[in-house]
Amino acid sequence: MAIPSLTGVETALSGLEAEQAALDTTGNNIDNASTPGYSEEVVNLAGSTPESIPATGAGSQSTQLGTGVDLESITRVRDQFLDTQYRAQNTQLGNDTTTATQLSDAQTALGESSSTTGISSQLSQFYSDWNSLADNPSSLSAQQALVDDATTLAQSFNSLSSQLTGTQTQSPSLVTQAAQQFSALTASGGQLLNDANEINSLNQDISQAIASGQSPNQLEDQRDSALDDLSTLGQVSTTTGANGQVTVNFGDASEPLVAAGSGTALGTVNAITGITGSSSAGSNPISSATGGELGALITLSSTDPSVNPIAGYSQSLDTVANDLVTDVNHAISAAGGTTAFFTGDSASTIAVNSTLSSAVKSGSTTALNSNAVATAVAALQGGAPDQSYAALVEQVGDDVKTAQTSQTNQQAVVTATEDQRESVSGVSLDQEMTNLISEQRGYQASAQTLNTLNSVLNTLISEVGSAGM
Amino acid sequence: MLDRITELMSSQSTLEGIQSDLGALSTTEQELSTGYKINEPSDDPYGASVVVDLNSQLSALSSYASNISDGTAWLNTAGSALSEITNMAQTAQELVVEGANGTNSTTDDQSAADEVNQLIASIKQAANTQYDGNYIFSGTATSTAPYQAGSDDTYQGNDGSITRTIGPGETVQVNTNLSTLLGNGSAAGDGGLLDTLETISSDLSAGNVSALGTTDLQNIQTNLNTLEGMQANVGATTNRLTDASSAVTTMQSSDQTELTSTEDVNMAQAATSYTADEASYNAALQAGAQIVQESLLNFLSAGA
Repeated sequence: MAIPSLTGVETALSGLEAEQAALDTTGNNIDNASTPGYSEEVVNLAGSTPESIPATGAGSQSTQLGTGVDLESITRVRDQFLDTQYRAQNTQLGNDTTTATQLSDAQTALGESSSTTGISSQLSQFYSDWNSLADNPSSLSAQQALVDDATTLAQSFNSLSSQLTGTQTQSPSLVTQAAQQFSALTASGGQLLNDANEINSLNQDISQAIASGQSPNQLEDQRDSALDDLSTLGQVSTTTGANGQVTVNFGDASEPLVAAGSGTALGTVNAITGITGSSSAGSNPISSATGGELGALITLSSTDPSVNPIAGYSQSLDTVANDLVTDVNHAISAAGGTTAFFTGDSASTIAVNSTLSSAVKSGSTTALNSNAVATAVAALQGGAPDQSYAALVEQVGDDVKTAQTSQTNQQAVVTATEDQRESVSGVSLDQEMTNLISEQRGYQASAQTLNTLNSVLNTLISEVGSAGM
Repeated sequence: MLDRITELMSSQSTLEGIQSDLGALSTTEQELSTGYKINEPSDDPYGASVVVDLNSQLSALSSYASNISDGTAWLNTAGSALSEITNMAQTAQELVVEGANGTNSTTDDQSAADEVNQLIASIKQAANTQYDGNYIFSGTATSTAPYQAGSDDTYQGNDGSITRTIGPGETVQVNTNLSTLLGNGSAAGDGGLLDTLETISSDLSAGNVSALGTTDLQNIQTNLNTLEGMQANVGATTNRLTDASSAVTTMQSSDQTELTSTEDVNMAQAATSYTADEASYNAALQAGAQIVQESLLNFLSAGA
């Protein structure tokens, strides 16, 4: 049985082609070593179908002759399980980050840092003014200082309350800001729909590539990056169809955020319409169980003190203000005073009695001219309002510390998961360089094979051929 | 342990190391520059609430301290006014004793009566003593003079008390109700010092030796006893304020110590940990410069 003379040439050529593809892939890997979301690509090679060589005579057996190498596919190295794990951790990180940021803003609003004068020092000043007034009750300047400082104190209560939960539009409160951020992220043009639309359109591109027999590695990398980005906003779960398109379920929304199309058709994106249970929930709402940034924002935009810690701070502040109003006015009337000092019953409404402040402004000292009243009010220092305010400061500090600690810890978890994923999918330059050498040598060897075959055929043609001439 | 390490992983972990070291460095730096270890309540939530409490206590204590010094000045003013009145009452007593002897001439008696009238005017003036613009013997009507010049001896003030808070829940009355001593003059006939002195004056001008020697002498002695009681009371209150003042100083210093230990940075400790943080930051930077540079590329010859 004869072996066709040029079989070896074809075999050597398949080797050259395979090494060429491997070199190109390695080059591409090296180029993308720092591309975010890029997965290392590998060339899958397999031996070509061998040629059967029947037995040539007695004692010989039929055998198979290798005919080189086939380039089967170029695939990306990716562990879907690690993707799922990464996204779950990333959702928690998004939630922790948003919570820590908002609570830290509330702490800043409180103004009890080492460099600012918050309500605590204004309260001290308020009592100190009453003490000075007790020493000299008829002094107009002492009365004016008291009224001015008390007005500042009342305004600090008003301002803090409006910074936390106020409803005015010019300078939105933290609660309003959270609601606004939620709307901005879920609105058209927001991160959620941008990611969803990107995934939807990549879905179609991928299914088209697969339909035409290609492996769309880069497109899949891009889609995975978009899913990673989406996971910051809330829980993401995906199901991949036979056509390569993924259906993305987001949080506890009833409809899938991205519904895969059939075949190579474009799927549909279902927007998140609002917050479950709110007046503007719409047909496809989510609740705080969604987690991620959006889940945190749902919690932080609630006006229910038992749900939203910031609404809780505002409620505690109302108690402090109301206690202050009640205690001061009660002390005044018990000591024989006739004019209430404060009006209002909450942090947003507390104010110095305008009758009193305008009387003092016009120079009348009669209303506040009482040693007994001033002594009685000054004695309130360290009472219920002071104590509950100190407790509020501790509460806010505690919450911020806890939120920051969880954020730091979660960041470490995300980094570790990211490392695991990178360990699998990342490009190692050392490895690529090693591959490069072996592929280069392989290419050289294949070329050498071709050269040798050429020389062998040359011998055959020139020696054997000339003999016959 | 991860199976495979890529360049991106080592550069990222180097970067994270550098950033966390820099974060630690910046925290220590903030502590050193502000001098506080609690810069936000979240740095130490319980400590922050203690700081709020302590600052409130310190502010109260400094109010007590100023109340005490104001009260002491008030009492000192009252004490010297009472001494003046005592001196004048004693002068009047001597005049009564001289008049009761019956050895004085009518002219002498008349001039003694004039002197007593002068004393009455001076005592009323002493009763109108002010401290910091306030009449100290008018009860709570501190802007009203307790006695008017001239023949009207009616007390113009009230019997209200003026107090100073000198410690937590501790108040003292700093005003003396002088009207219980001086009374409302002869028109009221209440046996007060003014009434007594006016009777003495008229008894002297009338040469009523027997009245001078008996009732007048007794009455002025009674008034002097009352006066002595008032002075003793002022003295005792002053002593109480002095004690309260040293108590406040002690509390201030202990609160201040606690505040410092809660809020302030231990500079030696912070400086030491700053040096340690700096060293680890430098090490991370250097490692980064080395690690990221090295790769197989460095060892492959160009022509291979």
